[in-house]
Amino acid sequence: MLTFAEEILLLMLDDDGAFLPIRGGAVEYILAGAVLMDLAFANRIDTDPEQLVSLDSTPTGNPMFDQALAYIANSGETKNTKGWIETLAGQETTGIRQQALASLIERGILESQDKKFLWVFRSRRYPTIDGRVEREVKLRIEDVLLSDDIPDPRDVALICLVDACGFLGDIFAARELERSGPRIEQLRKMDLIGREVGSVIAEIEQAVMTAMALAQR
Amino acid sequence: MKIEEQTIDSVVVVAPDGRVDGSTAPDLEKCISAIVERGDTRVLLDCSKMDYISSAGLRVVLVGAKKCQQGGGKLTVCALRATCKAVMEVSGFLTMLDYYDTRAAALAAGS
Repeated sequence: MLTFAEEILLLMLDDDGAFLPIRGGAVEYILAGAVLMDLAFANRIDTDPEQLVSLDSTPTGNPMFDQALAYIANSGETKNTKGWIETLAGQETTGIRQQALASLIERGILESQDKKFLWVFRSRRYPTIDGRVEREVKLRIEDVLLSDDIPDPRDVALICLVDACGFLGDIFAARELERSGPRIEQLRKMDLIGREVGSVIAEIEQAVMTAMALAQR
Repeated sequence: MKIEEQTIDSVVVVAPDGRVDGSTAPDLEKCISAIVERGDTRVLLDCSKMDYISSAGLRVVLVGAKKCQQGGGKLTVCALRATCKAVMEVSGFLTMLDYYDTRAAALAAGS
């Protein structure tokens, strides 16, 4: 099973393996939320609307999570989920992105390609080798959004991340997206970490728009 | 957390007593899973003695509701205390699951 960080990274890549733009440019916050989700599903942390608590500091065996887990467990700080998303986004997630990409390459899902443009500048892309996994992730999202069935908690959490990225419009045609609007509205609240990721991204997006508006005056 | 279980008119009433959090939620999950696995898919989660629910608890409720639905039944929730009701409302659970203020009302509605 892929981690949330791996699943959302797959959806962040376009057909050429370049990163799609994220709402507010806040990739680090999305990945921080993804890691917190995996820690919650591994029963290492727990949350409520007021706080995030460490339950068990035993390493999971996945370095992507264990760095964040140790940081939370050893901090001695009491913060809510939003506070931890912001903290981890500032300190940990460059490693998370690289580790998630390395894992996807090792599994044979992506490959790494270095390209030059303007003969000087290098850019690294991650084209898909095996598209089945990405298709399966998208199908899971479609199945949940287009039905009224009780969803699986993992699918709810992933949909919160995809929604926070602003990617649902890339998965659905406009008509389907409009039809599933009430369902999206319902699901985006159901995972307490996902809900906070969405809220943080919306705040960042608003701050960027305000800054741009001020700069144009 | 203790869990009381009682069958009333083919509805299995599950009543957690105490906190449903990351430490105790696995017990509630096991309880509901065992009920569904033996073929009882009409479950009423009586929350009158539940004084806290975290995100781990919410996930267990969702997993239980999904299992009941897959088995052809449903999981209904009743008698939430104010703080737990606030958490369930803010997370949208009460728009997805049937909810009644009392156990009697839920049973009368054929939960």
